[in-house]
Amino acid sequence: MPWYFYLALKQLFPTGRRFPFFTAISVLSVCLGVMLLVVVLAVMGGFGFQIRRMIVDTEGEIQIKAQGLIGDYRSVVKRVQAVPGVAGATPYAAGILMVQYENKPAFPQMRGLDMASVENVVSLGRFVTAGSLDALDDDSVVLSEGLAESLGIPVGATLEIYTPLMLVQRDGGVILPHSVKVAGVLRIGHQQLDSSTVYCTLRLAQDLYGLARDVHGVNVRVQPGANEDDVAARINAILPPNTRAFSWMDSFADFLTVLRLEKNMMMFVLLFVVLVAAFLTMSLLLVLVLKKTREIGLLGALGASRRQIAFCFCLQGVGIGVVGTAAGLALGFTVVRFRNDIVHAITRLTGGQEMMARFYQFSELPSHIETRDLVVIVVAALVLSTLAGIVPALLAARLKPVEALRSE
Amino acid sequence: MSDAILSARGLKKTFLSGDRRIEVLRGVDLAVGAGETVAIRGESGSGKSTLLNLLAGLDAPDAGTLAWDGSPDTGAARRVTFLGIVFQSFYLIPELDALQNVLMAARIRKAPASAEMRRARTLLARVGLAERADHLPAHLSGGERQRVAVARALMNSPRLILADEPTGNLDEQTGGAIIDLLLGLSAETRTTLVLVTHNAAHAARCSRQLMLHGGRFA
Repeated sequence: MPWYFYLALKQLFPTGRRFPFFTAISVLSVCLGVMLLVVVLAVMGGFGFQIRRMIVDTEGEIQIKAQGLIGDYRSVVKRVQAVPGVAGATPYAAGILMVQYENKPAFPQMRGLDMASVENVVSLGRFVTAGSLDALDDDSVVLSEGLAESLGIPVGATLEIYTPLMLVQRDGGVILPHSVKVAGVLRIGHQQLDSSTVYCTLRLAQDLYGLARDVHGVNVRVQPGANEDDVAARINAILPPNTRAFSWMDSFADFLTVLRLEKNMMMFVLLFVVLVAAFLTMSLLLVLVLKKTREIGLLGALGASRRQIAFCFCLQGVGIGVVGTAAGLALGFTVVRFRNDIVHAITRLTGGQEMMARFYQFSELPSHIETRDLVVIVVAALVLSTLAGIVPALLAARLKPVEALRSE
Repeated sequence: MSDAILSARGLKKTFLSGDRRIEVLRGVDLAVGAGETVAIRGESGSGKSTLLNLLAGLDAPDAGTLAWDGSPDTGAARRVTFLGIVFQSFYLIPELDALQNVLMAARIRKAPASAEMRRARTLLARVGLAERADHLPAHLSGGERQRVAVARALMNSPRLILADEPTGNLDEQTGGAIIDLLLGLSAETRTTLVLVTHNAAHAARCSRQLMLHGGRFA
């Protein structure tokens, strides 16, 4: 090991002695900066990842929509299923309902599912928390957990449904609701879907909205490993001109762009924390150079070159960067691992748990960290720490041995 | 002296103190032969340490020439193997134990192997610190620190040792022991020694004494 490497390590981490104060402060500052970046980017990434999961889990990776309604949907589904990369396709009808239970009204989203093909695209069965999806027929519905709780309706109870179509058809008479039984309750884990959604059969949805045999769209699941944009392009090639297939990223392009922009802005702003840590490291290394002036003179007297002396101090900046980054990553991943415990503890103290779920759409704080983000964090921390070591290193290298030895 | 290990001719050095020019050395001539022990004495401010810095190649003279073993190359790379220096203030690296401080001289030359490790231990044993090899400088007395510094100066088997007031920070008895050590090791290894000292008794034990006065040898 070259002497400058050895001495840099010894000055940073002396054996058999307390961790030097300046090393501890420098490492801690880099560590906190890196930790902050990891946690924030993981949570920001988690929001995007969670939204993808929510969309894909409930609608598949691709949605087919027409300018109006899709007429011969069976033919569309059959052709789409033959496209390479498609794992399954299912039609759907969607709209808004008014529901009422014991004079308590609500205005949930309706989702009409083709029970014969829905499991090829969306495995809703795994989200059921009460009752059963198998019990769903043309006279029953499955409610999202939040809706069932807000109405106070149990599984097996009867729910009254009103649709906008009834207002058109009333001809001055009394509007009579459509009565259905609650076959089950499900919880997807996304606040918006869980708070107010009614799932019913496609036929019931078609009846409620007067769609006859038409549907609003077709959801498509792609095969594992297939690129959803490529598959969407292949589907578009066989669809009639007024019908288009959109990947989930196309459907939410604006939202995803905003999310990505927010994440990049957060990274940019938080990199300044690492920059401040680098300045702290630099100032502490400058103090170290002043403190070690006579030792620098000694090294010169023993025959060390200026470049070697510069390396010795620059390597200390690198060492602080490496240890601080490693500690920051470890701490960051630990915080991410226990993020929900931490958030729950804070919200328990502040009493804002429900508000957080309502505001952020997720009942748990999501996290997802991309390799690209980790690489940016690590490279930025290491580069800034190295740069922080260069100024003190140049100062040390400029010292003349004879003057350094004479210094008080 | 043609076979001089150290030769200096007409060394001059001037310092600026504000607007004043202080001529510290006014043309020093010196030749030291192999194995010789030379003491340089002089009053405070006579330029002894300045001369030693010039002889060690740590500072450049304003005029004059310096040669080590006949070669004008007195750069840092050559200093590693040609020269061992002992300072008044020891200058040990506080983060390194006694053994590693001695080895540091070898490290600067090349990464130390087991041979260098053995030599460092042997030198520490020779200066009476075999049992304190793993002690940090903070846990050593002044005399022990200077003995580590002596061992470090000898680590690379130099041809010449320059000692600048090596007993200046030590009591009379400890200082005497350090001079015994330096002269003994110089004799054992046939290493040339140039000793800068105030102490007439210590200087008298060298084979030659020079008195620096008014920027020249008297």
